[in-house]
Amino acid sequence: MIIAIYVLIGISIFFAFAGVVGMLRMPDAFCRMQSSTNISTFGVLGVIIGGILYSAVFLHNAEMAVKLAVMGIFYIVTSPIAGHAIAKGAYHHGVKMTRKSVCDKYGEDMEK
Amino acid sequence: MKKASFPAIVSTAIVCFIFWLLITGQVASLLRGEPSVQVLIAGAIVSAAAALFSARFFIHESPFYLCNPVRFLKLIAYCFGAFVVELTKANVDVARRALSPSLPVKPGIVKVPVGLKSEYAQAMLADSITLTPGTITVDTVEEDGKDYYYIHWIDVASEDPEEAGEAIKGTLEKWVRRIWE
Repeated sequence: MIIAIYVLIGISIFFAFAGVVGMLRMPDAFCRMQSSTNISTFGVLGVIIGGILYSAVFLHNAEMAVKLAVMGIFYIVTSPIAGHAIAKGAYHHGVKMTRKSVCDKYGEDMEK
Repeated sequence: MKKASFPAIVSTAIVCFIFWLLITGQVASLLRGEPSVQVLIAGAIVSAAAALFSARFFIHESPFYLCNPVRFLKLIAYCFGAFVVELTKANVDVARRALSPSLPVKPGIVKVPVGLKSEYAQAMLADSITLTPGTITVDTVEEDGKDYYYIHWIDVASEDPEEAGEAIKGTLEKWVRRIWE
């Protein structure tokens, strides 16, 4: 059981690492946000599920497990809304997309 | 802003109260049959007050839609089945792009048609798309009775709305439609 928990947390650390590398390397703000979604999904969920298993199996603390599950639910429900708001706000504030971008239907439709 | 109906306030208050029970750790003592009455009363008052102010933002139609067990089971199946599969695929894909030396990205904003009518279904699909790495819903718009999403996509495989929609939404839209329609 402890090995399953280690594996979950290891996966989550790997995806958090990939997300941070992506945030540093991506060409513009929007692509950086795409990479940060990596951290906010698998990076967080692995640690939370590992924590639930650990507190339920080894600490015998049901309350802690339930609170971790509630944290996970709130995280999953709220983080896409924040991501959407940041992306829309950045676009309307005039953050430029990288020159590598192949198309921008949103900008074209706004000019019409 | 529309005013909230009474059932909408009740359903929001029930959800608030369930989360109050979970966060204050009352579930275990309720199961033992010795709940702390003070905590329950405080929770009821707080969740009723919160629902009174916030229901009009959340609930606009059919407040008790998910109380049907079949729909609720479908929602659970979506959250832990179909969605996890898409999430895993997208996570591995974006992690591979970020770590590969040549940084193979082809970003762009595409316009994608959505065939869902219910507000909840549209919100759920937009959130699912934003939560999968590689795609972010930037805005939604309604043109000639049809709904469109503007989606920032890290790897634009096709600029055609239909093909892009097929690639981005995948099985998600089918599942969301099964839950809400």
